[in-house]
Amino acid sequence: MSEYQNLLTQVQVHGPPDPGVPGSDDQGWERVGTPGSMSWLLGKIGDAQVGPLHLGLLGMASIAFGLAAIEIMGLHFLAQVDWSLTEFFRQLPWLSLDPPSPAYGLMFPPMNQGGWYLVAGGFLTFSILLWWLRMHLRAKALGMGTHVSWAFAAAIWLFLVTGFFRPLLMGAWGEAVPFGIMSHLHWTASLSMRHGNLFYNPFHMLSIAFLYGSAVLWAMHGATILATAKMGGEREIDQSTDPGTAAERMMVFWRWTMGFNANMESIHRWAYWFSIFTVITGGIGILISGPVVDNWYRWGLKHGIVPEYSHTYEAPAPPADQGGLQGTPPVTFPGLDGGDR
Amino acid sequence: MTRWNGMRALALVAVAVLTGGCEWPPPDTVQTGTRGLAMEWNANREVWNDSVQAIQARAPQIATPPSQALDPAPAGTYQNVQVLGHLSEVEFTITMNAIQQWVAPNEGCQYCHVYNDDGSINYASDDIYTKVVAREMLKMVQDINTNWTSHVNEERGVNCWTCHQGQPVPTNFWFYTDRDQPLRHYLDREDLRVQSDYAIAGTGPANRSSIDQTMYVYTLMSDISNSLGVNCTFCHNTGRFAVWEESSPQRLTALRGLQMIRNANMSHMVALQDAWPENRVGPMGDGPKLSCSTCHQGANMPQYSNPASYGQAWNAFNQIGVPHPTVAADPDAGQQ
Repeated sequence: MSEYQNLLTQVQVHGPPDPGVPGSDDQGWERVGTPGSMSWLLGKIGDAQVGPLHLGLLGMASIAFGLAAIEIMGLHFLAQVDWSLTEFFRQLPWLSLDPPSPAYGLMFPPMNQGGWYLVAGGFLTFSILLWWLRMHLRAKALGMGTHVSWAFAAAIWLFLVTGFFRPLLMGAWGEAVPFGIMSHLHWTASLSMRHGNLFYNPFHMLSIAFLYGSAVLWAMHGATILATAKMGGEREIDQSTDPGTAAERMMVFWRWTMGFNANMESIHRWAYWFSIFTVITGGIGILISGPVVDNWYRWGLKHGIVPEYSHTYEAPAPPADQGGLQGTPPVTFPGLDGGDR
Repeated sequence: MTRWNGMRALALVAVAVLTGGCEWPPPDTVQTGTRGLAMEWNANREVWNDSVQAIQARAPQIATPPSQALDPAPAGTYQNVQVLGHLSEVEFTITMNAIQQWVAPNEGCQYCHVYNDDGSINYASDDIYTKVVAREMLKMVQDINTNWTSHVNEERGVNCWTCHQGQPVPTNFWFYTDRDQPLRHYLDREDLRVQSDYAIAGTGPANRSSIDQTMYVYTLMSDISNSLGVNCTFCHNTGRFAVWEESSPQRLTALRGLQMIRNANMSHMVALQDAWPENRVGPMGDGPKLSCSTCHQGANMPQYSNPASYGQAWNAFNQIGVPHPTVAADPDAGQQ
């Protein structure tokens, strides 16, 4: 029987579940599903053991807040389709819980005009922060480093920038991201459009470079380990302290093909920091779109990153009557008897 | 054997999935901007021809009025003629027949005119609301053909058929839904811009435009795009939407079109507010209003500029559209 499993050997270990080591702050009631069970299906893609799940107080609170947030969103979606379940699923991608109108600024709007959005957003934020704390403490309880929680914190940074810090700096909760599948994509397009094309934003460029870089690095690493699995390449820790055939070969492979190789330890730092920088640089780019730079296209013109194109047609001159910046929409309707409807 | 069949089935599915979106013949592509900007216009000749033929088949055959100027019908010939008083008898009759063919081919004259119990027709009566609407629509067509040649081709103009297509109620129109409805730009909102022309915040005139308002522009632009069956790059270099110097000439035509619709809605459609019966108003109680799609109906040139639907084949739009060239416009002409 193989001691280790990987996708090549396809051996699953089934036996008495391992309840895990006792944590330093364990009261004995935090673990759900003790002592755990075995799943053949999950064993196909990972470890066969399921549970126990350490929820604890933080986990319970996080799930409660998260459920409340999702319930608010879900009930709003349902209300938008007149409580029809069929329509709910049919139109799900287009349903949305929207932030308050920018006219409310940073005030708390009436519940049906964005108030519920702020409540849902607040609950979701609490939920995520509590989940972060839980991951941080669990790692400490196991005597691990806290790398995972800090990587998670980087993603939370981007979440908070789009939904909290930037709206705060812009002076309106209306700038926050709507909760909806299409609507949050529309927000993305509109943010770019409002600030003159986000592609000219150097932090956006960096974020894309790190994102694509992460994809390449993760693919290279995954492929390298799988390619040497039959020599024990997936025993990365053993291999890093005591290089064997697998480690030697993978390093030689990369030296042969690109002249340089990461080692068993540094490849993980490469992937870690590329992933983290994706969201950190992205967050900076969004945070300064508006509060610092209003039009990235104009910024790009100033700094020589905008190409000039020759014209194949006679381009129109800016017409004098092209209209100005949008103001507040009128409150009355032509043809109908006045009044805000 | 079964494995071989499975592979074949898989290959078949793969081919179907990969080629399902393809068209034959390959579309014609006309590049309208610098290479690399995707500023191009695509059209499938076959689809195009089918659409044009469908329009040709639908267009009613209508008698052509005399091309030379005739004297207006003498006073007293018709009663209660407020807009077309400058027409001669021949032109007037042909025009009325044409309007019926264009707008109410199945309903006939009584769609607008009162039929008395004894079988006679009271042409002068304004009792049926459609006649009041039709009169305002004639004014609108005159307005468009006279004052909006910056958007509408001077030679062709528009006529009833452009929008109505043989239906008493055109296919595309809109109503109020709420204050922030994007289509409101077709009505009474002139300012649309959200981008400022400076890089660093605070170095130019204050720009408080929100994401919401940007979304509003986006939606309106998508409406124009859908109405015309074209992409953003038909008018814009999409890397820099706001810059006129890198836009195609069509963008200016589109701007004039927006202004034209706004004028048509504010001067003519809104003026009809009291005329509409209950079954013709929207959820907020307002009458129908125009947008780009009312005329364009998916074609970047309405009716694909098909002669059958324009004055080249039937030039009476001149008689409807603008006062007769040799007769001075007189609002009271022909009125009793």
